[in-house]
Amino acid sequence: MRLLIFSPMTAASAIGRASGLVARSLIDQGHDVVVVRSEDLLHLDTTPRDLGVPVIRWDDEPEVQKAVRSADAVVYHVGDNYDLHRGCLEWLPRCPGIVCLHDYFLGDLFLRWAHGDRPRAISVLRSWYGDQVAGRYFSFEKPAAFVQNTAATAPMTEWVVAMANGVITHSSWGIARVLRACAGPVRVVPLPYDAPNVTPLSSPSEAAARDGLTVLTVGHVNANKRAESVIRAIGESERLRAGAVYRLIGKVDPAVEAQLAALAQRLGVSLSISGEVNDAELREALDGADIVCCLRLPALEAASASAIEAMLYGKAVIVMDTGFFHEIPGEYVLKVAPATEIPDIRRHLEHLQADPAGRAALGGRAADWAARTFRAETYAQHLAQLAVEVAAAAPALEATRYFAETLVRWGATEPFIPTADLVGPLRIFEA
Amino acid sequence: MKVLIVNNMVPFSWGGAEELAVHLEAALIKAGHEAEVLRIPFQTDPWMRIPSQMLLVHALELHNVDRVIALKFPAYLIRHPQKTLWLLHQYRQAYDLSDAGMSDIHLGKQAADLRRVIATADEEAFRSSRRIFVISEITQARLAKNNRVDAEVLRPPLNNPELFGGGTSDGYVFAGGRINAMKRQHLLVEALASTPGTVRLVIAGPPDAPKDGERLRRLVESHDLSHRVTLDLRFLPRRELAEYVNHATAVACLPYDEDSLSYVAMEASAAGKPLITTSDSGGVLGLARHLETAWVAAPDAASLAEGLSRLGTESSASLRMGAAARELWTSMELTWPDSVERLLA
Amino acid sequence: MVPFILGGGRNIVDWLDIMLREAGHDVERIYLPHVDSPELLFRQMAAYRWVDLASSTDLIVTFRPPAHLIPHPRKVIWFIHHIRAFYDLWNTAYAKSPDTLVHRGIRDALHAADTAALKEARAVFTNSQVVADRLRRFNDIEGEVLYPPIYRPERFRFGSLGNEIASVSRIVRHKRPGLLIDALRFTRTDVKLHLYGASDSSSHATELRRRFKDAGVDDKVTIDDRWISEEEKASVLADCLALAYVPLDEDSYGYPTLEAAHASKPTLTTTDSGGVLEFVEDGVTGLVVEPRPEALAAAMDRLFMEREATRRLGEAARARIDEMRITWPHVLDRLLA
Repeated sequence: MRLLIFSPMTAASAIGRASGLVARSLIDQGHDVVVVRSEDLLHLDTTPRDLGVPVIRWDDEPEVQKAVRSADAVVYHVGDNYDLHRGCLEWLPRCPGIVCLHDYFLGDLFLRWAHGDRPRAISVLRSWYGDQVAGRYFSFEKPAAFVQNTAATAPMTEWVVAMANGVITHSSWGIARVLRACAGPVRVVPLPYDAPNVTPLSSPSEAAARDGLTVLTVGHVNANKRAESVIRAIGESERLRAGAVYRLIGKVDPAVEAQLAALAQRLGVSLSISGEVNDAELREALDGADIVCCLRLPALEAASASAIEAMLYGKAVIVMDTGFFHEIPGEYVLKVAPATEIPDIRRHLEHLQADPAGRAALGGRAADWAARTFRAETYAQHLAQLAVEVAAAAPALEATRYFAETLVRWGATEPFIPTADLVGPLRIFEA
Repeated sequence: MKVLIVNNMVPFSWGGAEELAVHLEAALIKAGHEAEVLRIPFQTDPWMRIPSQMLLVHALELHNVDRVIALKFPAYLIRHPQKTLWLLHQYRQAYDLSDAGMSDIHLGKQAADLRRVIATADEEAFRSSRRIFVISEITQARLAKNNRVDAEVLRPPLNNPELFGGGTSDGYVFAGGRINAMKRQHLLVEALASTPGTVRLVIAGPPDAPKDGERLRRLVESHDLSHRVTLDLRFLPRRELAEYVNHATAVACLPYDEDSLSYVAMEASAAGKPLITTSDSGGVLGLARHLETAWVAAPDAASLAEGLSRLGTESSASLRMGAAARELWTSMELTWPDSVERLLA
Repeated sequence: MVPFILGGGRNIVDWLDIMLREAGHDVERIYLPHVDSPELLFRQMAAYRWVDLASSTDLIVTFRPPAHLIPHPRKVIWFIHHIRAFYDLWNTAYAKSPDTLVHRGIRDALHAADTAALKEARAVFTNSQVVADRLRRFNDIEGEVLYPPIYRPERFRFGSLGNEIASVSRIVRHKRPGLLIDALRFTRTDVKLHLYGASDSSSHATELRRRFKDAGVDDKVTIDDRWISEEEKASVLADCLALAYVPLDEDSYGYPTLEAAHASKPTLTTTDSGGVLEFVEDGVTGLVVEPRPEALAAAMDRLFMEREATRRLGEAARARIDEMRITWPHVLDRLLA
């Protein structure tokens, strides 16, 4: 089949890396793929990943139109980043297709989209979450407060998946909202990821022989990544203070950097903050790490690429026992309960520090399991099967959307539309 | 030209709109066109079903049709690039009757939504029409007020004018048409009770519901008027109806706030019969001019009784008013060929 | 329905209306438009779903798709055909839809919706075994074959056994009038052929006339390229030798076959005529031959020469109508059961 895939293609996007793997598997399985770059205009000039398939820009209207017309299925990789996914929002309402949902929280994406048309955004908020939530939504000044206050009540998942004819997501923890809002078929498929050159730069025995213990956290350094908790956990333990270095890789605000550095100094923790790095440096950092901390609170992602990547590298991984991480079987990671966060981190770190062999064994099990689980081939097969199901769901969905749009044009407001009188007779079209 | 007349229908219910559609069809064919009537079912009970009925019409696809003439809500929501409206009325429950408290669309958010939806859809249909005709000034005024739409009045001609040639009086007042409370046949019976014994009344037509007929029968019995009132409560073939009209002394017609001239009044005028009506009968007053072509009573039994006494037996006044009624009707020059020409213009 | 097109589907509805009224029922006929467009199919199907007759009627009988989607607590479906481009004609030259994932999706969704709507019905009837077979194959639904009778069949009667084989149907390509004309090049008797019926284009009739002139059979063939009245049709069938009816893969036995049988005349048809074979059995109620001019010619000669046998075929055809219960009382009985 011919698939048109909207995705960021810049090297900086982990979703772009995953979608690239899927695209390559689709091609291996005999499908045709055309990619539409979804980055916002300022980011469209970066060099795309080379997948060996035609790549067009989302703002190239005639080319995209042409590609849509000849496609069997249109696929949108959507994550919570407007800079990377704007093109999906531009085309999804016009050409409904399959959404590969990478995050169960799309608040930042929505905020930026809402910037263009506040009244429209408020009406979207109202229709999914009611007047009260809509009224408060734009009142949070700090990003952390915004996430904290909207993640549970108004994650905006429904807004995106309602426009989809089918959804693939990567874990089950946030699926209820997807099922509520998407009338088409929904599947949960593990996020594909790879570890390029996974042959370790240094062998486990070399790593074990190294002095000290390197603990690593990768990703935009913010409150959600719990770096402060890791610093405090190390700070509480004499052995960890003495033997462990905590390394942070990823974008970081100067204020946050200063605050964390001050905390580490006060507690006597060795902290190294590296900022953004390129792929090679990242690989090196992963290789040099003994333990990777993937802690998130609240959970926002459908799957964590950095946790998967760390497992693929055979690292001992410590995760928060929420969301996607909760669904990872206990024998492959160590879990931290949100209520006993710092003691749990400390306990796990001390245990891993004391037992290099156990650490290596855990990493080995994780690497083996991750390599079997997070496979692009599997994902591509599911995507192709879903495309067939979506084709059969699409005619009724198209009709339903047409009628809903007609009613809205006629001035109907949200609760008016799904009355039993209107919707009841159409249930026959639900397979 | 292939002309599709689009109307609504409720199974087993037949009235003025249905008659208009078949006569328009016949007139179009007579004028050399191909014509068909499309009757789209319309269920308004419960009222929250109305949006689905609107979408039903809106979703239908037409093909092999050059021109659409739509007569009613929601039939006129049908999509066609060459659509002309000839409106009998809008969905009044969504507009004016609500002000008078007679609407079945009650208060509440959903009702407000429904009324907005109807008004918006109406206006969309009006904008997408070639031309908009209405059957009466009243509908014209409502369209102007409710939707700021400028419509032309095109009164429906009489159906089968040849049947209503008039004739000698057999000495009765005739009240024909559908039997229901809005048409107020009961008021006539009550009025008859206080008129001289020489005045007789013939009421003929199909009751809307069995209880409407039952109510009249009981009323006649309770006033002991069986010997002066003939109740012929059934659907009458046009020919039989015309017979009743042609041999009446006068014709009574008391709808409440009727939109149009009313077929009953048109047929009576064509047959040269004076009218008995009430001052609140709306469009009927276009033909009923007090003491000129008609007795226009106050809407009560006493006032009507006077009209029945004056016009119920043949007199020079009744003959004069009958002739004047025919003259007024003829001067309106309402014919099918003219109507077809205007509708297709 | 499509406005201004009168076809078999509308006849049967109109006739049933009359028969039901005669049996004392109140009847309303509702024709709704439908445009054959894959992109607009489901919007139109939704519209039919919103047709609400539940409180105003005791029973509904639906005919052509998508009318069977109309919901009703007492829905009886007299199924005449599927939307064939998505069923038996899928992936054939007659299907308008390309075999793409999108159109396969529409096909699958249509099958599912049709099946669900058919399952809502109190009873499902078909107008032929061919359609019943398709219902079983595609929708896993058992439909009872309820053959549509013709209107006022008593109009058709036996008069005499003449020398002309009559063809009474629209002169259009898929009814194959040319095949019949070609056959006359091979007849050895004085058997004649008379084609009655309007052609879909005057060029088609002209082409046919040239065809039989070229074949040198113009003394054996007459063409009446016009719509003949019901009375004329009855009189033609009363005095013909037999009916020739050779459509390609028809869904049902076709009204001409039945009209001839009511006049106690056999039908000559071909092995590829489809539903016609449900009524015409070779050597019993007519003759069934290969769709070749030579084979048809031999059969025509046989009908002409063996007049006693021809007469017997006609009698058997008449009797077959009752055997197959192609009568209005049976139809009403089953529909209202």
